[in-house]
Amino acid sequence: MIKNYKELSIRELHNALVNKEITPLELTKLALEEAKNDNNNAIEYLMEKEALEMAASLTEPEKDNMFWGIPIAIKDNFSTKGVPTTGSSNILNGYVPVYDAQVVTLLKQKHAIPIAKVTLDELAMGGTGTSGHLGTTYNPYCKHKKRLMGGSSCGSAAFVTAGIVPFALGSDTGDSTRKPASYGGIVGFKPTWSRISRYGLFPFAPSLDTVGILTRSVEDASFALEVLAGHDEKDATSSFKEVDKYSEHLEDDIKDYKVAIIQEIFDSITNETIKKTFLESVKKLEDRGVKVGYVHMDNELLTSLFPTYFVISCAEATSNNANLDGIKFGPYHDGKTYQEVMANARTIGFSELIKRRFVFGSFALMKENQHDLFLRAQRNRRHIVEETNKILEQYDFIYLPAAPSVAPKIGEKSDRLSNEYLIADNHLVIGNFAGLPSISLPIGYEGHLPFDANISGRPFEESKLLNIANFIEKDTHLKGIYAKKEGE
Amino acid sequence: MEFEPVIGLEIHVELKTKSKMFSSAPSVYGKEPNTQIMPLDMAFPGTLPTVNKEAVIYAIRVSNALHMKIDNELHFDRKNYFYSDLPKGYQITQNLRPIGIDGYLTIDINGETRKIEIERLHIEEDTCKQIHFNDFTLLNYNRAGTPLVEIVSRPDMRNGLEAMKYVEKIRSIVVYSDVSDGKMEEGSLRCDVNISLREKGTTTFGTKVEIKNINSISYIQKAIDFEIERQTKLLLAGEKIAQETRRYDSDKNETILMRVKTDAVDYKYFPEDNILPIKLSDEFIKDAIASCPELMEDKLHRYKQDYHLSEYDASLLLANKDVSTYFDEVVKYTNNFKLAANWINVDVASYLNKNFIEINDFKLKAKDLADLINLIDKNEVNSNQARNIFSKMIEDDISAKEAKEKLGISSQISDVDFVKNLINEVFSENEDAIISYKEGKGRALGFLVGQVMKKSKGRVNPKLTTELVTEELERR
Repeated sequence: MIKNYKELSIRELHNALVNKEITPLELTKLALEEAKNDNNNAIEYLMEKEALEMAASLTEPEKDNMFWGIPIAIKDNFSTKGVPTTGSSNILNGYVPVYDAQVVTLLKQKHAIPIAKVTLDELAMGGTGTSGHLGTTYNPYCKHKKRLMGGSSCGSAAFVTAGIVPFALGSDTGDSTRKPASYGGIVGFKPTWSRISRYGLFPFAPSLDTVGILTRSVEDASFALEVLAGHDEKDATSSFKEVDKYSEHLEDDIKDYKVAIIQEIFDSITNETIKKTFLESVKKLEDRGVKVGYVHMDNELLTSLFPTYFVISCAEATSNNANLDGIKFGPYHDGKTYQEVMANARTIGFSELIKRRFVFGSFALMKENQHDLFLRAQRNRRHIVEETNKILEQYDFIYLPAAPSVAPKIGEKSDRLSNEYLIADNHLVIGNFAGLPSISLPIGYEGHLPFDANISGRPFEESKLLNIANFIEKDTHLKGIYAKKEGE
Repeated sequence: MEFEPVIGLEIHVELKTKSKMFSSAPSVYGKEPNTQIMPLDMAFPGTLPTVNKEAVIYAIRVSNALHMKIDNELHFDRKNYFYSDLPKGYQITQNLRPIGIDGYLTIDINGETRKIEIERLHIEEDTCKQIHFNDFTLLNYNRAGTPLVEIVSRPDMRNGLEAMKYVEKIRSIVVYSDVSDGKMEEGSLRCDVNISLREKGTTTFGTKVEIKNINSISYIQKAIDFEIERQTKLLLAGEKIAQETRRYDSDKNETILMRVKTDAVDYKYFPEDNILPIKLSDEFIKDAIASCPELMEDKLHRYKQDYHLSEYDASLLLANKDVSTYFDEVVKYTNNFKLAANWINVDVASYLNKNFIEINDFKLKAKDLADLINLIDKNEVNSNQARNIFSKMIEDDISAKEAKEKLGISSQISDVDFVKNLINEVFSENEDAIISYKEGKGRALGFLVGQVMKKSKGRVNPKLTTELVTEELERR
């Protein structure tokens, strides 16, 4: 029997399973036990029965399949057949999908064992992990429940941060996988837009939405991508590009790589620990022969990141969620007319925050505003992408701190007009605008709280990205960290 | 004061593809409610649209038949509005770049050709079907997602007749290009009419009234003619026309107010990001056009030109596409086109009518009918015998030859020597008749032919016999 499964990477767990040091059922029971004892309010639906059944059926180890018998968690905005899926919104209370998301199908085919549907900011709209219908999901690093997990993939991040599972599915529209990863000191990976099928992912803003991967090591993230990537005929936007053996390139030579640091983004950060730690990591890359250069991006353009994102994502979101009308699924609220039925369902079902976004998105799409808001935001997005692509013509990667701080205290106010907020707290959205593969991974601690750096590459160059991330991870010695409980 | 009506039509055509526009659910009419659906058709969260290639091919066929410019890139947009029949809360359609633009068709009005311009043709999806009751509504999602093309004319029509002819022409195009059933009664072709009046000689438009959901071609003319009269009366009385939507009540032959239009709805169109623009290669477009079956106009031309059919005969055949297809099949096996047309327009048609069946359910194979026609053509049977054979063929499900044998009809004798022998016998027995003929009594010819026929027990070919008897008489 293995000592503490939470210490182990997917490869190590896999070896233990294949060598029959532990069975899938035993491992699943351990993970379920941890999940049940979790105090961070990260669970939408514990798949205890389903997981135990599935685990019990796994008797023949699959040597070449890293996910065989590995417990995982699924963000509750992925459709799971026969298992309630709410998107952490009251409007979908009681909704039981009739089909599996493509990524869920792929993971099941590999005999990974989903043990829980986990929380998110309502319908993935939010970055704090506080807006889901079950309330705040807490950061496992603070046992007093005073720190944010960040969102929207708060439950996925909390599960991986607490070590309950080595892998969780997330989604990333602005930074929803990579930001909470930073607050948890884990790996948050958003591959290239269209690399993974979105079929079954509840849409927030399809031009930005990407399936996200949360793990505790770069290697684990590469294993996950090998399972999830590929064309899916059910997602017309999914790419036909060939899927690499990402895990086989982790140790490739990195000395010819060129890394760019965007000066203006780096300068917008005030936290000295983060800056210092980041520069140490940069230095170590240079020591390995990587060429590092500082590049520039117009400050005004950078301060437009958030408003641009907000307009585009809200506009798309208002349309994408128009199907939630209480008629076909979700709680039905009677009314005299169909308008009343719909209005009742949506008034009761959505939180104020969501309604605000819908009103705003709808406003931005109105005929008289579309030119000044939606189309202008689209143009600006294109501008940002062009500027980013210019950098990536010269450099292989853009490397930056993932966030301006460690996990903030709940209720802590940030100045929403400061560069710290507008740039440092929102720069990860560049990866969504340009559809870039982008990965956050831990590089240090402030006090006992970890934080990440983020590195992004060119579209479909995940092999290279994971390759350099693997070396950053080697230099930090933070592979596999998790929030230990007292006495652990 | 004299008014000029300005009429534009929006026609929705349901495409008869195997599956729906954006989902793999079957697209069929008349099945048990809510059985022909995939998660996308009910807009289950997370489902994504994929484009039906067959529907695109069909849209190209129709665009081409309407002489339109065909876009070489396929773009889709969302039209956002809340309605109980709209599962997603938006309809996927083509707003900024319809697949076809700037086309026209011509119609024939009392021998004169009128050109009606067509602004656009775009691809979209149908909503679900609602059945309203007093205190509840039933929803049937079988129809949700059925592929549609919407064909928008320019306001080029001036009266009900023109509009009716226009719809007839569109109908024939979509039916003959094999993209739709084009059945107005079943809703596979739906027509909305926009109509306004203006003072004759002016160019500005008057206030537009929309007439929705007209479900038969003949009602189009009636609805428009009524509406012209209604608006004329109002205008002459000095009243204003309200911008409103009306429907046509066929029992009362009048249009009835449905709702007054306030500010036009803002559909907040924006691009459908789940479908990236799709490049349509020249080859794809070319193949789509090449795959289009012959249109009615072309067939009519061919029937007249190649088969020498009269306009009347040809039009009768073409009134039903399946009948014309049957005819095309028959003439593969016979060269007597006129006879084939007659048989199909008369004997086959009356059989179908009597038995309430469609040509596609007609038992007799085209080749079998052609065989029968060939028997007549070669004078092996006469038309009365042929009719008996026809009935027998259907009755016993047998070939023309078998039926002929079963009925004991022996072939007509066309052996010249044999007939001549008989003639000689008859002539020697009827010297008087020969003299009468020589004296100019025409009736004698008929008598002599009749005698020959009698002697042969009706088996000799009457036409040949008449010829030979005449020849023999002249010689004597």
